[in-house]
Amino acid sequence: MTGQYLAFFIFALMAITGGVFMINLSRVIHMVLSIGLSFFGVAGLFIMLQAEFLAFVQVLIYAGAITIMMAMGTMMTQGGDEGEKPKRRLHNVLSFLSAVLVGAFLLYGIYTTSWPTEPTDLGANNIKEIGVTLFSNFVIPFELASILLLVALVGAIVLAKRDGEKD
Amino acid sequence: MTVDLLTLNWGLLAPELTIVILSVIITLADLFMKNGGDRKAFAWLSVLGIALATYFTYQDLGQPVQSLLNDTYRVDSFGTMFKLIMLIGTGLVFMMSIYYVDKKEIKYDGEYYYLLLTALLGSMIMASSGDLITLYIGLELLSISSYILAGIRKTNLKSNEAAFKYVVTGSVSSAILLYGASFLYGVTGTTNIIGIAQAVQGAFNAGFDFYIYLGFFMFVVGLGYKISIVPAYMWAPDVYEGAPTPITAFLSVVSKAAGFAIVMRLLFTIFAAGNIATGEINAETGMPINFFSDEMTFYLAVLAGLTMIIGNTMAARQINVKRMFALSSVAQAGYILVPLAVVKINSPVVMNISFSNMIFYLMAYLMMNLGAFAVISLVTKANDTDELKAFAGLYHRNPWIGVAMTFFLLSLAGLPVTAGFIGKFNIFVNALLFESYYLAAIMVVTSVVSYFYYFNIVRQMYMRTGNTEAKLAVPFGLQLVVLLTFLGTVLFGMFPNVLIDFISTNFSVMDLFTPGM
Repeated sequence: MTGQYLAFFIFALMAITGGVFMINLSRVIHMVLSIGLSFFGVAGLFIMLQAEFLAFVQVLIYAGAITIMMAMGTMMTQGGDEGEKPKRRLHNVLSFLSAVLVGAFLLYGIYTTSWPTEPTDLGANNIKEIGVTLFSNFVIPFELASILLLVALVGAIVLAKRDGEKD
Repeated sequence: MTVDLLTLNWGLLAPELTIVILSVIITLADLFMKNGGDRKAFAWLSVLGIALATYFTYQDLGQPVQSLLNDTYRVDSFGTMFKLIMLIGTGLVFMMSIYYVDKKEIKYDGEYYYLLLTALLGSMIMASSGDLITLYIGLELLSISSYILAGIRKTNLKSNEAAFKYVVTGSVSSAILLYGASFLYGVTGTTNIIGIAQAVQGAFNAGFDFYIYLGFFMFVVGLGYKISIVPAYMWAPDVYEGAPTPITAFLSVVSKAAGFAIVMRLLFTIFAAGNIATGEINAETGMPINFFSDEMTFYLAVLAGLTMIIGNTMAARQINVKRMFALSSVAQAGYILVPLAVVKINSPVVMNISFSNMIFYLMAYLMMNLGAFAVISLVTKANDTDELKAFAGLYHRNPWIGVAMTFFLLSLAGLPVTAGFIGKFNIFVNALLFESYYLAAIMVVTSVVSYFYYFNIVRQMYMRTGNTEAKLAVPFGLQLVVLLTFLGTVLFGMFPNVLIDFISTNFSVMDLFTPGM
């Protein structure tokens, strides 16, 4: 067992357990922490794929900013009653089965494909490449993304602002 | 490779830039206005700006395919046609909104107007993107603006429900679409749509067919949400019911047109261009090579058939007008899908017929559906109910509106002398011509089913008496919308050649497969 294999195993386990806990835990703050774990696992996987820029962005934005923001959001809103979840056995069984089926189908497809085996070096200069493409070929979607963020911000305020009797 | 950004022909972006500048102006003006101030002027300003953008878009007609920055943004006849539909549709929605928006229900009316503009911007970007990344950003811009607009009546429980359901189903569909796109990117190595088209057949033959199938089906499911076809139509009734009526009209016309634009852009360019663009001929049969298109049109035909059947039968059971029209627009999406499902992808001429029929029907649908929604927003607001009985005695209260609504309904049902009849008839002939007898039969039978619920409204208007016989006053903006859409519905029904000639001179399907200069 090589070190690389071990590292992959640990990171993958982090990503998956984080996701599973996120769905199954009942308190919001626990969910936030487990999704953070999942983000770190994915960042590790990116490093193993030589995509270190994506890995740092993953940690900075997802594991850092988004997790913290969700935690703050949870603290600022009053904690709702965590009442009993309605028990829907059949629903759970069916969703589990369909998830397993989809997963098995994808795995089957991946394992039956004959992948090219010659190694390629995609990792060299990847930060520079991302920068150059982002500010040359993809400058239009890049600018549009700023409008998109503005819209999301305005929308969040419009929908979440508590309207008092007077402004 | 470096690109000198300053030397590019940014004038191509004129329609989009007009909309961006307009929304910035409105945002700033909103900031400096008094809180309780009336913001109806914004709507008229937007109508003017949209007219200007329409003029710029109109100038693009008849031009060769042009593009910016390696096709991330492109101007071709296909995108221009759809942009015209979206601009005119949104202009009419703005005129409808002037009467509808009031401070009591929609507190943030300034935001209402500029979110509508950004939604329009997103849909225009979708229509003229030649790259998956631009396309996705445009899609999200449209979707996020629509989520907020659906929930902008904050004190209304139904509106909250609509926004929540829309955001959940919309995000799921976007995620599926992206997952599918990632497979295609993985096997072809590019996000450029024409680039994918050129590489996809090679990848298919090289043993990556599994991923191309995955990509295709995820595209169909993800895009199916956007145009609300079976099996992804369930969100439509709830969202259409809860959203403010002009926004419902926007979703059913502009948002749907944008969805169809990317359905054609993605599915047909990627999975059909292999044989059209390269012109490869199968040595044995002498026909162009079809590596996927026959299979694709078969799946689309199944979806179109199911959509027509389920949409029409569900609509017949509704008593809420907005829910009924939601399901009616699901059914209409089925009709619009028929020309795409029967198309034989073997020559540009044949494809041009099908695609032109579809664009004609979309234009007719724009007129009749927006007109119907204008009347719905008038009637439901005046009677304070969304149920069918809101229409009771409409003819006696305002004969002009009653007659106009009758024509919109005739057109939606596909009866002469309306644009809807010509559109549906062309699609029907198209299906027969390409020997899709099942689809043609389903079209006829489901159209008969649709008479039942459309004429239910007609019966209410003429034969029932409402609570009041008082004259129903119509505000100026709505008068204008009803007049314009009525003229469009009837005149294009009587003189369809005007529109058909316009489409045939200005639209060429080969533009979809031509890389921009």
